[in-house]
Amino acid sequence: MRRDTQHVLLVLLGGALLRIAADDTYLRYVRPSHRWLLLAAGAVIVVLAVAGLVRDRAGPPAHEHGGHTPWLLLAPVLVIALVAPPALGADAVTRAGAGNTVVRDSDVFEPLPPGAPAELSVAEFVQRAIWDTGGSLDGREVVLTGFVVRRGAATELARMTIACCAADARPNRVRLAGAVDDPAPDTWLRVRGVLQEGSATSVTGHVPTLTVAETTVVPAPPDPYEY
Amino acid sequence: MTAAVGFRPTSMHVFCAVLIVAILGRPLLVETLSVPVLQTAATVFVAVCVQALPFLVLGVLLSGAIAAFVSPAALRRVLPARPEAAVPVAGAAGLVLPGCECASVPVARRLMGQGVPDAAALTFLLAAPAVNPVVLVATAVAFPGEPRMVLARAVGSLATACVTGWLWQRFGRAEWITRRAAPPSTDGGRWAVLAETARHDLVSAGGFLVVGAAAAATLSVLVPPAWTEALAGQLVLAVLVMALLAVVLALCSEADAFVAASLSMLPLLPRLVFLVVGPAVDVKLIALQAGAFGRAFASRFAPLTFVVAVTCAVGSGLVFL
Repeated sequence: MRRDTQHVLLVLLGGALLRIAADDTYLRYVRPSHRWLLLAAGAVIVVLAVAGLVRDRAGPPAHEHGGHTPWLLLAPVLVIALVAPPALGADAVTRAGAGNTVVRDSDVFEPLPPGAPAELSVAEFVQRAIWDTGGSLDGREVVLTGFVVRRGAATELARMTIACCAADARPNRVRLAGAVDDPAPDTWLRVRGVLQEGSATSVTGHVPTLTVAETTVVPAPPDPYEY
Repeated sequence: MTAAVGFRPTSMHVFCAVLIVAILGRPLLVETLSVPVLQTAATVFVAVCVQALPFLVLGVLLSGAIAAFVSPAALRRVLPARPEAAVPVAGAAGLVLPGCECASVPVARRLMGQGVPDAAALTFLLAAPAVNPVVLVATAVAFPGEPRMVLARAVGSLATACVTGWLWQRFGRAEWITRRAAPPSTDGGRWAVLAETARHDLVSAGGFLVVGAAAAATLSVLVPPAWTEALAGQLVLAVLVMALLAVVLALCSEADAFVAASLSMLPLLPRLVFLVVGPAVDVKLIALQAGAFGRAFASRFAPLTFVVAVTCAVGSGLVFL
């Protein structure tokens, strides 16, 4: 690949990083704190390309054969620019196996705030359902937001937790029981309901069951993962 | 006009043609990538690229800075003269430099180019992503109540880096490294050298990062989850499978502890192996190393590191866990 083509390619690559960090697109792939890294990296790549262009105008250095591998950099540029694949959804959850991952953070949890239904992340709900010996969820109405996963006849509400990027995503899921019609996979739902006590055991793969009082179809949040 | 007679397409013509074809073929591309399994793979592919590129940029900037501001003579003064002694010093240098594995490949290559012994540069390559403070803190956060895991990981990874360095010093041959960093051009000021070195390293390493990301994305949808679920209670098999998983999943060293923590049906030892092997050898790194040092190097270095990392991890685990 000639040097001038390399420069153009780098401008496109840096532009692609800047583009996804300019709005919420980058949240499909990495955690929010990564935004500044993307902006900085995109800017540096563009600056390096422009510096190369300016330098070559002053008098091109000896001919340089860059080999063919730089062409591969076009792949992420094109996939980002033309497709921008969505955040991981039902397919990735199904692929991750049947149960919830159980990481014991603590078995002592703060009580939920009193009064109205508590808004919890799916990850926290699952943690409490499995580990909380204080019974903070017992009889309490909670509100969860996630997307639909079908497992046979059952409907599950799931949400991915990522540590760094979507490659390390782990799902948390909750089985929905009661007033649920047949939502299509990947539909985002806001669900109000109560935990069925003792449902998150090793028999159920540590997937708790929520007795649903109400479901609302909601648009996908800008921030599809939990952290 | 002779242009019509002697027309030879340059890479710029090809480049523009590829862009036009891709834009025209966009509906087909979108349709193909809407198949669920391909969509998942595409998301993981973009995620790995997007996650790793800033660290690769950091690495090539460091590489450029070394080329521009650190003379070979200065490096020789810092490092012990005997390569056997330079290896642990390079390993210790990795302790303080935070960065993912993508950043350390161009830096190690540049260190070799500036006259650092191959073995010491390779030790740095293995140590920097594995034992830096960010990774150790992430490990502590992922394994609350298991501080021994942090210690076992640090010792296992540092041992992997040093043992591999010493083995390379003893048995490695310089001619296996078929690609070396070109000496930095001297025209223009130091900043021009920095920019040109960084630009060149980025273009040459970036393509290999894409290969690694594609491999990791493919394998992440192909590896059945039953692999890990069937392993409970089979320690030896679990160690081997977790070592292989670390290679094929190619997770960032700052995130792999969280994945290891989530595999709680397994004992700590196989999960430690996962954490020690991952930053030392995975498909993304193999691709980057093949690009930076040549295939002859990568085909020997990857198996060597794999065996050393598994051995050191098991040893460290038996002592500390």
